[in-house]
Amino acid sequence: MNEGGKGIDIGTVFVKCAHKEGDKIIFGSQRNAFFQVEYAGGFTKKIFDDRMIKYVVKDDKLYVIGNDALQFANLFNKETRRSLSNGVISPTEEEALPIVELLIKSAVSEPHYQGEIVYFSIPAEPLDADFNIIYHIKTIEGFLKTLGYTPKPINEGLAIILSELADKDFTGIGISFGGGMVNVCLSFMSVPIFKFSLTKAGDWIDQQVGMAVGEAASRVTAIKESSFDLTKVGTLSKIESALSIHYNDLIEYVIENIKQELEKVGGMPGIVKPISIVLSGGTSLPEGFSLRFKQILGQFKLPVSVGETRMAAQPLNSVAKGALIAAMAEEGHL
Amino acid sequence: MLSGTEADIINAVARLRKATKDQIRREVGFSSDYIEFLCRYLVRKGYLNFSNKHYSIGEVGIKTLLTEETPEIDRGLIKEITAEVAGEISNELKETKMTVARIGQKVEWMPEEKTKIKTDFELPVEDESLVLESNINKIGPNLEKERSDIDESVRLFKKIQKIFKKIQRGGRT
Repeated sequence: MNEGGKGIDIGTVFVKCAHKEGDKIIFGSQRNAFFQVEYAGGFTKKIFDDRMIKYVVKDDKLYVIGNDALQFANLFNKETRRSLSNGVISPTEEEALPIVELLIKSAVSEPHYQGEIVYFSIPAEPLDADFNIIYHIKTIEGFLKTLGYTPKPINEGLAIILSELADKDFTGIGISFGGGMVNVCLSFMSVPIFKFSLTKAGDWIDQQVGMAVGEAASRVTAIKESSFDLTKVGTLSKIESALSIHYNDLIEYVIENIKQELEKVGGMPGIVKPISIVLSGGTSLPEGFSLRFKQILGQFKLPVSVGETRMAAQPLNSVAKGALIAAMAEEGHL
Repeated sequence: MLSGTEADIINAVARLRKATKDQIRREVGFSSDYIEFLCRYLVRKGYLNFSNKHYSIGEVGIKTLLTEETPEIDRGLIKEITAEVAGEISNELKETKMTVARIGQKVEWMPEEKTKIKTDFELPVEDESLVLESNINKIGPNLEKERSDIDESVRLFKKIQKIFKKIQRGGRT
């Protein structure tokens, strides 16, 4: 039986929707990437249909969508295109809006009933870039309304806390290491104390590594997602060494910013227990990520006592799941 | 059809050749957020390009400038209307008693009101994906199932929200 309320994670790399059916949570996802290929008319479409390769035709141009876009891009040693960049609708991508709408529509499908509540994830204001997120929020909100939902935004970091820190009364730090952004939220009993985002994230690692070793960023992404292991010792390939260095750099950058924000709020004098940290997002997937994070965290002197640092149970699903919890609570379940 | 402010932005960028959001804001006026909102729209529609935090004229923008499609704005009429409004406001103010500090007079305290940007507006969005031909709905999203463990979390979250609401209303728990 379907229960009302849905949660959507609108990320730079994936659009993922969660809803509950009986004792299961169903996650529907679409990869947010596309790649233009030569269009030879109906013949190409038929082959793609037969092979279940997702495509879009617009103005006589054919775009491969999703995971297959990454494979095509690697084949041509080129980059995929994205409808989101740095966590928001890309201002420079001409096809951004129709494609992101298509991906959301496919992942979220029709509401169970008119006005069903859907919480969608949004990034916090970035500390290291000059843009705001109002256009992004309003566009997604407006679009979900056209589909018949009652949309509500939820901060990405807070969604992770709702998903993973119920045993700590939703108190702790949730960090989403995404493709376009890192999102951080410190919450006390589900109330955000501070939240911020950083634009150095997974894509930044891929670009930096790509430049360092002379490979396309798409190829670095594929290696990073398929076989990269941060615990590996001994002889590392050029790409692995570069990835390891940039992972260190990114983690240090994130912790340094958390430290500064904690200092701004004067530590957490009201909280006596050590604060838990949950790590999530696609960029946190390589084996050994949490260990590396803990090692670097140990080198910093934070103004609060840190307790457990752990990975989210399902790092790619936790934002959508947290958004679903917010939606179900508001729909009045249980 | 471009609005007057959008046309002003395109003209400003054309004059400056390359401009940051702040440079455009200084030229055109309005808040930084509103200028960014319009610039993003103009980038999406091809009037402007954006790279390295700078806007420049895009292909559609160049065409618009060359074909002079920019809407003609009756500046005279705008001046006339603003003069009328200013007159009305000035008349209303004359009837209101106000304490005004003289030049050089030391003012002990002046309240500073922060400018609040309202964000509770609704942005009408068209489903632009309707023009796309795609097999994405036929194939559907990638599906995963997970055993649900969220009931407790939903209950706890509701409980906490209820407590906060009570506190906000001034009640005790």
